[in-house]
Amino acid sequence: MKTPARISRAVAAGVALALGLTLSACGGGSSDSAGGGGSDKIHVLVYGDAANKVEKQLVATFNKTSKVKAVLDTIPGADYQQKLQTIISTPQAPDIFFNWGGGSIKPFVDADLLLPLDDFIKKDPALKSSFLPSVFDSATVNGKPYGVPMRGTQPVLLFNNKKVLADAGVTPPKTWDDLLGAVKALKAKGVTPIALGGGDQWPTLMWFEYLYDRVAGPDVFQKALGGDKSAWESAGSKKALGMIRKLVDAGAFGTNYDSVKFTDQGSPTLLATGKAGFELMGSWEYSTQQDSHPAFAKKDLGYSSFPTVAGGTGDAGNLVGNTNNFYSVMKKTKHPEAVAAFLKLQYSDEFVKAQLGIGNLPTTTNTEKFLGTSASPAYSKYQFDLVKKAPSFQLSWDQAYPQSASTPMHQAVQQFFNGGLDTDGFIKAMQALPTA
Amino acid sequence: MTTTVTKAAVVAERRPAQRRSAGVGRPGFAWALPATAFFVLFAVVPLVLVAVLSFTSWNGLGSPRFAGLDNWTKLFDDPVMLNSLWLSVLITVLGVLVQTPLSILLGVWAAGRQRNRAILSAIYFVPLLLSATAVSVLWRTLLDPNFGVPSQAKWLFGDGNLLGMQSGAIGVLVFVGAWQFTPFHTLIYQGAARAIPQVLYQAAQIDGAGTVRQFFHITLPQLRNTMITSMILMVVGGLTTFDTVLILTQGGPGTDTTISAYYMYQKAFKSFDFGAGSAIALLLVVVATVISLVVVRVSGYDKMRSSVEGL
Repeated sequence: MKTPARISRAVAAGVALALGLTLSACGGGSSDSAGGGGSDKIHVLVYGDAANKVEKQLVATFNKTSKVKAVLDTIPGADYQQKLQTIISTPQAPDIFFNWGGGSIKPFVDADLLLPLDDFIKKDPALKSSFLPSVFDSATVNGKPYGVPMRGTQPVLLFNNKKVLADAGVTPPKTWDDLLGAVKALKAKGVTPIALGGGDQWPTLMWFEYLYDRVAGPDVFQKALGGDKSAWESAGSKKALGMIRKLVDAGAFGTNYDSVKFTDQGSPTLLATGKAGFELMGSWEYSTQQDSHPAFAKKDLGYSSFPTVAGGTGDAGNLVGNTNNFYSVMKKTKHPEAVAAFLKLQYSDEFVKAQLGIGNLPTTTNTEKFLGTSASPAYSKYQFDLVKKAPSFQLSWDQAYPQSASTPMHQAVQQFFNGGLDTDGFIKAMQALPTA
Repeated sequence: MTTTVTKAAVVAERRPAQRRSAGVGRPGFAWALPATAFFVLFAVVPLVLVAVLSFTSWNGLGSPRFAGLDNWTKLFDDPVMLNSLWLSVLITVLGVLVQTPLSILLGVWAAGRQRNRAILSAIYFVPLLLSATAVSVLWRTLLDPNFGVPSQAKWLFGDGNLLGMQSGAIGVLVFVGAWQFTPFHTLIYQGAARAIPQVLYQAAQIDGAGTVRQFFHITLPQLRNTMITSMILMVVGGLTTFDTVLILTQGGPGTDTTISAYYMYQKAFKSFDFGAGSAIALLLVVVATVISLVVVRVSGYDKMRSSVEGL
């Protein structure tokens, strides 16, 4: 018995050693890859997509003059928020990172991970004054600024297929009644009046965002977001819900919208091929159509702002959507001066020109000068004027609320559309959302 | 990694000789050590951590805060959670009911010696080689109401709103699951059917039993143990269905296809409520264990006897 026992101990030790070695080897490889605030570097973490071209260019510009070098890290695809959440409280955290402002950074602020930008702004007031105020404010948390706008603004617009509208004798609607009339006329022509990618859920949410604004003004949602849950029971809220109900029941979206998605090109193709008349979508609809249906984008893609509602209190110029993306700064960065210098580039002429070149619309005050150089000048100018004049630009609800609210919120809007929730059920679901 | 493990295996392999010379024929614990080490590291430790996390409140930032029974009381008051368990069971049961008859028939057929059998079997096997993600994306596109099959077959699909209503969405999930996993179970049944002794069929033929009779009185009873194995695999697979839901329905419409595994993902990785997500995970472990025990009990798998006794 003695021999086997000794051997099994030896084997056990060997295996344990082997395991230990391989594990530590795995760990060793990654220790140097990101490393927040290494001795002479700052790490900039951004959402990985086509827009990285500009970020690379800016980092190169920065590195030409700065002693502290910037390193650009990207996380590709839709997993950005998840991965950010897992690294942000570790030593792998970046110094500067991309985000959507509002609710997307609130948990980080609460965990005391972010640097308020007050001091930067005191030293360089242009860091705030160079941006459109409605945009800059959406990265303000607890009264303090935490983000500097980067990339472009993406208001939600009512897109249309000009040819389909003309065939049905319809013009882009100025009022809600115009829209109801257009729905009737398009239905009579056998066309789905409004394309909706209900399978993605967030396109459905856009209808709520705009109707609440037009009917009751931006304050109702702000109140609800601030924790006053009675806002959801207000007369304005109920009226907006009633109007949505009527629109759905009138067949404005057809019957199979929940099987259609925007993200797999379902709803944009409906619009482009003339099977639908309208689509309410973020400004990226334009570049989506340019990519997949260039001829349509050039000739027949029309756009207008959301119609007004008679008797409603919301200004016709109010917008909803993604106000902008932002750069936020980690509190523990070792090179605040370098970070401040890097942020200055976000309103430089070079930044604006580069963003316009790839189809983004920056929200700096100097953007206007360069609008002519944009990939589609008329569209850029139209959007810029809207954003500049907007009395209120409401960040998309699912981004304004904390992350934990977005799934139940998406479910509630989908269920309200398909009849799974009535008005009271929807109000209860919204009241149950966590606000802070 | 591979080399070190192989080395350990080589060391372990030398042992039987020494054992036999010592007159002991039973392998010791060391044989199981590599597998046990991995199992403990990647299954037991995470399970314990999940159990601990389920009593905390944690959003992934900072350290978890002890929350007592909070997650658990919320869980049992949560209508979505209870509904998700029911949906998981429903999808599992439907999966077993659809896949079992199909795979038995295909498997028994594939066990024969017909012309072209090998080629057709190979073709039937293809779906299993594709990743669940690819399969889901494929069917999502094929079932698009405006540009997919439903738009060309309105007599069958109506307005094509398959994924926009609960019955349709569950139907699609069960169908896609069956399309992908029937080949696997077919393979199991094929092997089992091949193992049935030919003498049984020869004897039946002499007694004048036809093909149908042979199938019901020889093949099916002989496949009993295989059926239980295959069904347990289907139950486990069904309860942990995730990728098809993620890509085809995202738990929608509303929460109509939010099965437990997907709800766990939503809580933990969409809402960053790791405490609640862990509680769901643990509950799922318990439910799956109970169901497996019931299956084993009811089927008599625990006191299973050889099906070729007396031959």
